[in-house]
Amino acid sequence: MRSEEQSGVRGPKSEVNVGRNLRGYFGPRTSDLGFRAVLLAAFLVAGSMARGDTSRTPTLETIGNEVQCTCGCNAPLNGCPHLDCAEKAQMQALIKKEIADGKDETTILQDLSLKYGLQVLSTPPAHGFNLAIWILPSVGLLVGLGIVVVIVRRWKGKPQLAPVPAAASHDARILTAVEEEMKSTGMR
Amino acid sequence: MNEVGSVSLIASLAFAAFALVAGAVGGKLRSPRITRSAERAALGFFLMITLAVVALEYMILTSDFHNAYVAEHSNRDLLTFYKVAALWAGQEGSLLFWTWLLSIYSALVVWQNRRKNRQLMPYVVSVLMGVGTFFSLLVFFVANPFQELSVVSAAGTQAFTAPDGNGLNPLLQYHSMVIHPPMLYLGYVGMVVPFAFAMAALITKQLGDNWIRITRRWTMVPWMLLGCGILLGGNWAYAVLGWGGYWGWDPVENASILPWLSGTAFLHSVMIQEKRGMLKVWNVALVILTFFLSIFGTFLTRSGIVSSVHAFAQSNIGPFFAVFLAIILFFSVTLLFLRLDHLKSENKLDSMVSRESGFLFNNWILLALVFAVFWGTLFPVISKAVENATVTVGAPFFNKVAIPMGLLLLLLTGAGPLLAWRKTSFQSLKGNFTFPLIVALIAGGIMYAKGVHHLYAWMTLFLSVFVLVCILGEFWKGARTRMRTAKENFVLALYNLTMRNTRRYGGYIVHIGIVLLFVGFAGQAFKTDTKGLMQEGDLLTVKNYMIRVDGLTTGDTPNYEYTRALLTVTKDGQAFTTMHPEKRFYKASQQPTSYVAIHPTLSEDLYVVLAGLDPDTGKAIIQVFINPLVMWVWIGGVVTLLGTLLALVPSRVEREMAEIRHAQELAVQAGDAF
Repeated sequence: MRSEEQSGVRGPKSEVNVGRNLRGYFGPRTSDLGFRAVLLAAFLVAGSMARGDTSRTPTLETIGNEVQCTCGCNAPLNGCPHLDCAEKAQMQALIKKEIADGKDETTILQDLSLKYGLQVLSTPPAHGFNLAIWILPSVGLLVGLGIVVVIVRRWKGKPQLAPVPAAASHDARILTAVEEEMKSTGMR
Repeated sequence: MNEVGSVSLIASLAFAAFALVAGAVGGKLRSPRITRSAERAALGFFLMITLAVVALEYMILTSDFHNAYVAEHSNRDLLTFYKVAALWAGQEGSLLFWTWLLSIYSALVVWQNRRKNRQLMPYVVSVLMGVGTFFSLLVFFVANPFQELSVVSAAGTQAFTAPDGNGLNPLLQYHSMVIHPPMLYLGYVGMVVPFAFAMAALITKQLGDNWIRITRRWTMVPWMLLGCGILLGGNWAYAVLGWGGYWGWDPVENASILPWLSGTAFLHSVMIQEKRGMLKVWNVALVILTFFLSIFGTFLTRSGIVSSVHAFAQSNIGPFFAVFLAIILFFSVTLLFLRLDHLKSENKLDSMVSRESGFLFNNWILLALVFAVFWGTLFPVISKAVENATVTVGAPFFNKVAIPMGLLLLLLTGAGPLLAWRKTSFQSLKGNFTFPLIVALIAGGIMYAKGVHHLYAWMTLFLSVFVLVCILGEFWKGARTRMRTAKENFVLALYNLTMRNTRRYGGYIVHIGIVLLFVGFAGQAFKTDTKGLMQEGDLLTVKNYMIRVDGLTTGDTPNYEYTRALLTVTKDGQAFTTMHPEKRFYKASQQPTSYVAIHPTLSEDLYVVLAGLDPDTGKAIIQVFINPLVMWVWIGGVVTLLGTLLALVPSRVEREMAEIRHAQELAVQAGDAF
């Protein structure tokens, strides 16, 4: 169980610390390589998720899911709960016009963010600090997997404390122990 | 009544603070007398908070508008049904409601454990009342619902009674909204009980089986209620917000799913500890995390640190919650580290292909999902702090991250229970999975041929078939065995099989419910909608439906005015149904809202919104959605609820074990007395 305990102590405060700590888990042979592989995989997963499918033909429906309504409802344009929302109608008109002008999805999203600010996009553009939104979940997923693998490996190598039958419940074990103690002390 | 309420709050604060201290002292000195005193104080806390709730409800129901809270959140013409719900419609009332639920849980725990778990109880009471003290302080000093309405004039501040109130937020005037917040809160608040038992077990170093058994049951109940609350919230969003969906990855929605996910992880990993004596540290950590996320959810809903369509009550209580969350984290994590030596694993893992590793992978995915949702929810706040940039993290991010993880979880839902403890042989794997895989592949082929080409939707349906066959196979195999050995007919064999091990088979039913939920989610990929400006006699065609407007009527109720569209629907040229979507205008709050007309079937919902009247032409703006498979979300929720209830029913073996444990405890107590 030490690995679990360590994982609780050594949270991923920074990427460098994660690497150092993982070195402890994986041993010197695999540490750097493993850590770099995790980071690389995280970047690849994050990159593929962040990229999205911007090659598709833009429609009011697809763009409406990618941008937020600016009326203050905090909902996607398609999901704005206000029935007579003037801002929604205005944004939809602009999107329809851009689609009619033959612009692709990326250009339409750029135009909308120029007009309304970055917050109009349902997900922040994947550059600079915003990359963290995509990278950290992937890092979390992969580091988690690494921890699970390490726990399993350590468990496999660990000597068993007590030879307990798998199917026996703890209560049964307690009862057995009590029985044995009673026998050994002459009470039974 | 304001005075009654305020005095009750002060008294409840005194009781909670006393119980907090007395519990700790009683535990430290091992004094049954002081411990009993702490328990009675916890009951006093319950009585006083109940009195405060009764006082506020009385004022709401009698439209006593000299109370500021009542004037803000109710009005004379509000239906009594909704007046009751005004208790949790605003900041002050909802915090009082939270505290009341805590007091009910505390009283239940004290009553249930009046003769058992006596070594744990002083600290359990102390922890429960520590939380109670925080909320009482908050309700009395920061968000007091018993304030008089007053006006400031040249003559000074004077008490004032409003002729009528501002009314309840129209979006909250929907039947499931009356049950949704109590369910959600019962879920959030209930997580305090497993936390209290975990802390008591750490303090007393009684980290054997007892605390984990109590904690598991006490986690299942709030987990189930939280799940119901989340589903009712989705039902409300679906029927009221009028955008055709039930889940939008809103921060407040995310806040509710976080403790549910971590609670799910705990309910699985706890089995490894019970069966194999492993994952002890991890289980305590999950209990802490679940409670932390519950308080965090309340904080997020009420503090307004993130923008949300659901944040109906926001104020400056954020810093108080932040400090409280820090205290919880510091106290619990410190305690956990101090007790690491008592939480050593008793067994080793025999094989990578085993139930234990299945649970580990399940926990990995669930926790990764918790992290991703938590991170995405808070990222706008972090971005603002780091870069001073306002960004939005909405549904596209969460869908990209959560759907693949959800699919992995779905796979484990079916595969996990078929893995044996300790080690699963290749032969066993082959025997258990071949048939479900063949059925799933055939079903997948048929679905593809029928036009299901959306990757995620296809994978979801493919895995759903696989998992369903796996689980139903377990029932089938078990019942067949009983039919052979006990000579029972199939129905009786199935019944006896289930009731002999309610936990196991209740769990399977929960898994079936989860599968049905996923089937419902898959339908989102095939959603279609259209909108039209329509007047009497106009037709609108959507897929194989044709909608005709028969007329528009207007009406007036004491609470709202409405415009109603009368629609006749045909499907494939045959008469299908009539629908009456409304647009309402609530008089007290001067706000419009929609009343969506939904015709649900197992295959798809016809969902019609009267979005308004076009100002230029006077024609009705009718929006129509065809939402496939939504009904399966609600059915899945009900099945999950039933499965959980079944798992909570003690099986015959469990009842016998409980009797043995009780006899052992009585014997120990008798020994102590001598």
